[in-house]
Amino acid sequence: MIHAVLIFNTSGVARLTKFYTPLHQSSQTLIPKIFSLICSRPASLCNFLDAPELEAFLGPKGDEDERWRVVYRSYATLYFVFVVDGAESELGILDLIQVFVESLDRAFENVCELDLVFQFDEVHHILAEIIQGGLVLETNVEEIDNSVQLSAKLRKESYASANPLSLGLGVGGAGSRGGNLKSPLGWLTGKITGARAM
Amino acid sequence: MWERTLQDLIRGLRANKKDESKFIAKAVDEIRKEVKSEDMELKAGAVLKLTYLDMLGYDMSWASFHVVEVMSSPRFHLKSVGYLAAVQSFDQDTDVLMLTTNLLKKDLTSAPADVAMTLNGLSHIVTTDLARDLTPELISMLTHSRAHIRKRAILALYKAMVKYPEALQQGIARLKEKLDDPDPGVVASTVNVLCELARRKPEDYLTLAPQLFHLLTTSTNNWMLIKIIKLFGSLSPHEPRLVKKLQPPITELISTTPAISLLYECVHTCIIGGMLQGPSGHSLAKMCVSKLAAFIQDADQNLKYIALLALVKIVPTHPHLVAEYQDTILASVNDQDISIRMRALDLVSAMVTPNSLQSIVQQVLSHLVPDSSSTAAPTAAQSLAQHTVPGSPTAFKPLHMSPSQSPAYRLVLSQRILSMCSQSMYENVTNFEWYLSVLVDLAHVANVDVGSQIRDQLVDVVGRVKGVRRYAVKLMYTLLCDDTILHNARDEGTCSEVLWAAAWICGEYCSELSEPQKLLPYLLQAEMANLLPEIIAVYIQASSKIFGYWAAEVAQRWDDDDLAEVKSTVDLIIGRVREFVSNPDVEVQERAANTLQLFTFIQADLNAYRPRPIIDNPFAEASSSFDPMASGEPRFPKSLYLIQPLHGTYELNPVALAAQASVPIPDGLDLDAWIVAPPPEPVAGDDAEAKVRKVKKGKGKEVNGSKAKSGKKKHKEEANGGDAVVLMAPEGDTETPEQREQRLAERRERMRDDPYYLIDDQPSTSKRVDDDLDSIPVVRLEGMPSLTPGEIYFILPIPTLPSLREDYTPSSSFVIDRDGEMPAGAVAPSLVPSRTMTPVSPESSTPARMMSSFPQYEVDEIRTSTPEPIKVTRPKKKTPGKKKRTQNGSLPHVSNP
Repeated sequence: MIHAVLIFNTSGVARLTKFYTPLHQSSQTLIPKIFSLICSRPASLCNFLDAPELEAFLGPKGDEDERWRVVYRSYATLYFVFVVDGAESELGILDLIQVFVESLDRAFENVCELDLVFQFDEVHHILAEIIQGGLVLETNVEEIDNSVQLSAKLRKESYASANPLSLGLGVGGAGSRGGNLKSPLGWLTGKITGARAM
Repeated sequence: MWERTLQDLIRGLRANKKDESKFIAKAVDEIRKEVKSEDMELKAGAVLKLTYLDMLGYDMSWASFHVVEVMSSPRFHLKSVGYLAAVQSFDQDTDVLMLTTNLLKKDLTSAPADVAMTLNGLSHIVTTDLARDLTPELISMLTHSRAHIRKRAILALYKAMVKYPEALQQGIARLKEKLDDPDPGVVASTVNVLCELARRKPEDYLTLAPQLFHLLTTSTNNWMLIKIIKLFGSLSPHEPRLVKKLQPPITELISTTPAISLLYECVHTCIIGGMLQGPSGHSLAKMCVSKLAAFIQDADQNLKYIALLALVKIVPTHPHLVAEYQDTILASVNDQDISIRMRALDLVSAMVTPNSLQSIVQQVLSHLVPDSSSTAAPTAAQSLAQHTVPGSPTAFKPLHMSPSQSPAYRLVLSQRILSMCSQSMYENVTNFEWYLSVLVDLAHVANVDVGSQIRDQLVDVVGRVKGVRRYAVKLMYTLLCDDTILHNARDEGTCSEVLWAAAWICGEYCSELSEPQKLLPYLLQAEMANLLPEIIAVYIQASSKIFGYWAAEVAQRWDDDDLAEVKSTVDLIIGRVREFVSNPDVEVQERAANTLQLFTFIQADLNAYRPRPIIDNPFAEASSSFDPMASGEPRFPKSLYLIQPLHGTYELNPVALAAQASVPIPDGLDLDAWIVAPPPEPVAGDDAEAKVRKVKKGKGKEVNGSKAKSGKKKHKEEANGGDAVVLMAPEGDTETPEQREQRLAERRERMRDDPYYLIDDQPSTSKRVDDDLDSIPVVRLEGMPSLTPGEIYFILPIPTLPSLREDYTPSSSFVIDRDGEMPAGAVAPSLVPSRTMTPVSPESSTPARMMSSFPQYEVDEIRTSTPEPIKVTRPKKKTPGKKKRTQNGSLPHVSNP
């Protein structure tokens, strides 16, 4: 099964952390460790992270099948890292990362790092359509996109019915306050303000 | 009313990068107020912010009740915030989870979107209690009209069954039905779950094989095919018929599928599923290995990596097939990618055979050699050049940021070399001289902390392989003379522990040296103070051993001209050892003090020695048991024989692991018997307590073995009536004067024999009184009657010795003492076969090196001249039970170097 899904950027800042199995060590030490190992690897190397420094984390030695593996892929400024065990196909997970990224791209339309920063809850909802409890739920990008859009629509409707005066959508789930003008253009606004803040 | 939204929080965080903790503290304060609000929107907003902070590593467990509140909101967008927060922050110990049972039950019967969200949330937060209460609902969900819900229900049911195994039986039956679900996604999820379950307990899922087989041959969904193939990989080792059935379709898939991931899984399953055995398996094995070999040579690093992973698993059954690609695999150890290196190392170690070991180890060792060979010690560089097998890339130049420089990787490499060579009791090592030189090279180039492992290996090899001792001593001699390690002893990664082994080996086997005294100045350098205390202790002890051996040798061919050399050597030892007499380390201090006293005595004797004619030898008449020879006094100072018997009386052999357990208990030894009768405990009444205390006392005194007899007697007495007395003995004031007097008398009686009490009123008859200080030297010499020169001269062919030890021919075969020594009267009958299989152990109890300088090496040469090149002495497989225990001996005695 899949034990963890992590996304962090090229500076090592975590953008998404999702653990399906409770860790025996703090995630706050694990992420920097994985990051430091991954960021020193040129793109030409393989997508499996295997290093002596990680031995302790990957589980007991000897039982090769039960050992965890770290599979990662890098897209632009982001690293997508999956931690899996022997029940998953190594190459299959590489494809699954691709499916995840494609689904994000569909939901956010040309996904960039800022989308993940400001809509981390939406990223979680998308991931929940692909993986549930560490097991793969769906691998078809079409199906995933349909489910994501359906539940996003339901959340929007629910928000609108609870806040009849609000003008737009509350993708953030909680009501956006303070004269937040969220229109279809709100995406852009969010991106621009985010970019400025950066 | 201008609360921050999540977006505001994130923006604020980005704007306050310098003062993040302060900003977050403020934000959390706000959140604490907001979560208590009546307004559900506000509460949910706060929980969402908390979830974000939780991801950044801030604790939110304090808010778990508020999370449940948000989860229970009827509004979908709020509820989803609640579930997200629960999924991210709850764990098995979150106490509010027990409040959620009814909420989850209600949500599972709600609108489809709610149900989907609930199932997802439940898969994360499920506990044993939740699983027990909600399994019926989950099972009924399996027949939901929407495929999306069915998929989620299947996965959630799996998580519930993991937590609550009682649901397994019912769950599996329902899952089996789901294999026929009209929706392919549902079938895929079912296969996914079964794959996980079958990994835990494959036998229970064999009945599903026909359905799965049908799916395998009809489906075109690669995701699912991969899982089915994986599932069969778990099942087929438990059902031989399945192997036959699976071979055709899998062979078909391997040769036709365009998907590399599926192809790889097929190959992998063939290997782990045991499909490569038998005649039909052979061609399949060949195909698998050739596919994997193609992967290794592929430009795609990922394929290289997984191919190495799979090859490791095929090596045990088909080593010859993999061996064809040895060069390619060895080249992968040089890969710039550390992931590939790690897997290649795994594979290479699995591939080791007696023939390939040397080239593989040299190859791995070359990775440890630093870029500029100037830093490597000359010995390491030389022997590397000597031993490198032609053809292997010796001129390996690490890249700029080579992984070889990472200490963790160097440690892995070093340990891998050691484990490759030492596995199965040196099964693959044919030339132990080579191995010893590898160990020394490793100590020089490793630059990581493996010194203690190298030390153990050196001592173990030299103890077990007698044929290599002469070479070992030679090698260790050069190691001790080379002061690079000594100078850097306190630096990290110097492996100074090899000096421990070097000193111990040279000391223990100094008979292999023609001029052992030449080593003493190296063992007694001033820099030795830099070493670790345990190494200093061995240095001191080794010096003493070498001197003892040499002095005895000098005595045999005594010439008065030797006196000066002996004297200066003794002075050297005394001078150096004196520095350590007050060393803070207790072991060093004790050994230094012992050595100092012995050598002071020798020094005094030497100073008193007058070349013959001897008129007034102070030792001649000192002892009554010493019978001076009619032919006259020995010509040499007798103290030259003082040290040698202390060290060289018995040969140290590797001891079998089971040796201690099979020492027969001598007749009449009752370990439970009282050695000294228990003191009459003043216990009033409490029977049980009294007994407990007695047992404790008894255990404490068992150590004193010399008292066994009297103790037994007393034990008998006590058994007759002593018990009653003990229990009657009253406490304090209830004791009558007579009883008290009697008790004290008993106590005095007991204490007279107790060595831990000093009794002043009656001078005991112990020997201590006789130990008049003046007579001490006499008493010590008295113990060595066998060392009279007459006997020695008969035994030893002295003139030929030095030259004999000089001529040295490397032997091509070695006998390994795999089993180790067993006690002479070992009881366990099943151990007998293993003893007879060990040609090396017969002299186990003979005092082999008593005074004999006759090299052990000769004995082994005779033995190894038999036609069989290598005697691998292993216990017969037929002897069950004890076999395992006798196979591996422990280290030779090193505790008393």
